[in-house]
Amino acid sequence: MNQRYNPVATFVFAALILLFTGGPVLLSLVGSLVPDRVLLDPKIGLFDQGINFQNYRYVFTGQLPDAYLTADANRAMISDAARQIPRSLWNSTVIALSSMALNLLLGAPAAFLFARYVFPGKKLSFMFLILSPLVPTVALVTPIYMTLQAAGLVGTQWGIILVHTAKALPFTVLILSVFFRKMPSELFEAAMLDHCSRFQAFYRIALPLALPSIGATGLFAFMLSYSEYMFSMVLSGDAQTRPVSVVMAALARNTDVSWSLLNTGIFIAIIPTLLLVVLIWRFVVEDLLRGSVKG
Amino acid sequence: MWTINRYPITWLIPALLPVAFMTVYPIAYALWTSLHQVMILFPGEPFVGLDNYKRVVTSNYFHDSLTNSLVFTLLAAPSVVILGLLIALFLQRRFFGSHVIRSIVLLPWVLPGAISAVLWIWVFHPSFGILNGLLAKLGLIDQSIPWLTSPKLALYAVAVAHIWTQIPFAVVLLMAALAAINSETLEAGAIDCRSPVKRFRYIIYPEIKSMLVVLLVYNALTAFTSYDLVYAMTGGGPGTATTLLSFQIWRESFSMYDFGAGSAVAFIVVAISAVLIIAITRALPSDLFAGEEP
Repeated sequence: MNQRYNPVATFVFAALILLFTGGPVLLSLVGSLVPDRVLLDPKIGLFDQGINFQNYRYVFTGQLPDAYLTADANRAMISDAARQIPRSLWNSTVIALSSMALNLLLGAPAAFLFARYVFPGKKLSFMFLILSPLVPTVALVTPIYMTLQAAGLVGTQWGIILVHTAKALPFTVLILSVFFRKMPSELFEAAMLDHCSRFQAFYRIALPLALPSIGATGLFAFMLSYSEYMFSMVLSGDAQTRPVSVVMAALARNTDVSWSLLNTGIFIAIIPTLLLVVLIWRFVVEDLLRGSVKG
Repeated sequence: MWTINRYPITWLIPALLPVAFMTVYPIAYALWTSLHQVMILFPGEPFVGLDNYKRVVTSNYFHDSLTNSLVFTLLAAPSVVILGLLIALFLQRRFFGSHVIRSIVLLPWVLPGAISAVLWIWVFHPSFGILNGLLAKLGLIDQSIPWLTSPKLALYAVAVAHIWTQIPFAVVLLMAALAAINSETLEAGAIDCRSPVKRFRYIIYPEIKSMLVVLLVYNALTAFTSYDLVYAMTGGGPGTATTLLSFQIWRESFSMYDFGAGSAVAFIVVAISAVLIIAITRALPSDLFAGEEP
């Protein structure tokens, strides 16, 4: 389609989207680069005292920012918790990647069957999957904690991975089955004529063709795990195994922590996932738009 | 669609078993708890029947928090789907910088609830928030508006923050659904139908309807059972203005240590959510359920 769009309308709409989705994050970037007293005093212009990266230096090396070394500075405003961020990012990445891999491994076969086959008990199983995420997380925490504790998984990353995988699975299956259903059935009829087994039809035809959709779905599982808070908090152990959502929530609820340091933490937590999201998003979208999955 | 006569257990059990562990067992546990008096302070767990439910439903908080949850859900779920659809349709366009915007739209998604909460407190803050600063500069307001501490505005303010966190997911899935539409269909539509509104109604909408239903259901659920973002922003206040039903579970269980009452609220939330999801799937028949009947 070669359609001409009104460039002014395009620009205005794009600017609105940018402002709404990126605005608060941009604020936190600015907040992390200027000292607290600039943020909290309306009389000082935002960039009057220059920008500095000392908060970032503190998080990674432990060297205190100059603003806190002056005589009247409130030293309580700086928290050691911020120094756990680099380690927690690594923990979160390990957990989220494991949960994503497990999700696709466990969910794809089920999604394929739901999309292309009729079998006894199908509706019941599908409804079970759809209805299960309804159960409020707060109601699940206590029993699951007790079970995992009995299994010796509390305080390890395995417990969190297991719970995150189970939490994302219904959505993985649901989304993947929508994608599998969109594939032309002629492909599978041809496979049947060639005496492909069900597994071969799945492994050799459905999986390669649905790869972009599988990528998008995996991305969802990754994000769900990365941002999940309640189970991560209850199931994680000492500072060494804590994922980033738990560390950040602790920082955010600590009213003594300075705004600049908090904003620094937020921004550091965003950067690595942002890189990953951009990469997968580009790969996924470009493949989708090239029409490798046709309805 | 082909038929399999036997239940294909080897294909489904890897997906069903972990989900059952996350749902069936905890629900059974919560059901048992909601029918017993389970308090940390009192040893012994006598059977009390429906007493927990009776106590919870007649409490002062229940009516307020139920209303808040319903308003919050009705506000958030349709807004997310409509805004997500508008953004997804817009991002189909190719223009200078469209790739950058596509990536930036995802930003809210990568943030845990606690972080989003801090960002939005910063936006809505009465004395140094950016929103009041902006409105004051434009000359629209004389004094700062207490977005998060006014009982009338707080629920809307937290709903905006919640909508913000949910939009990226809607955009991703809708863009994938839009891209999966057969391009020949679109070309034929572009020739036959000049009006973009009609083209959306008769060509694009039927193709993405199942995805819209999935998103609406999903967003109604996340809104109805959300707690961390709202809790971190306002703590349920001012008064009970932003106390959602899902907080009540937490409050009864972990601040009153009355696990029986907490489980009773949890059950009420589950029941209302179930009604909600059935209503939505009935209201919008979609090809998602086509061919489910054997």
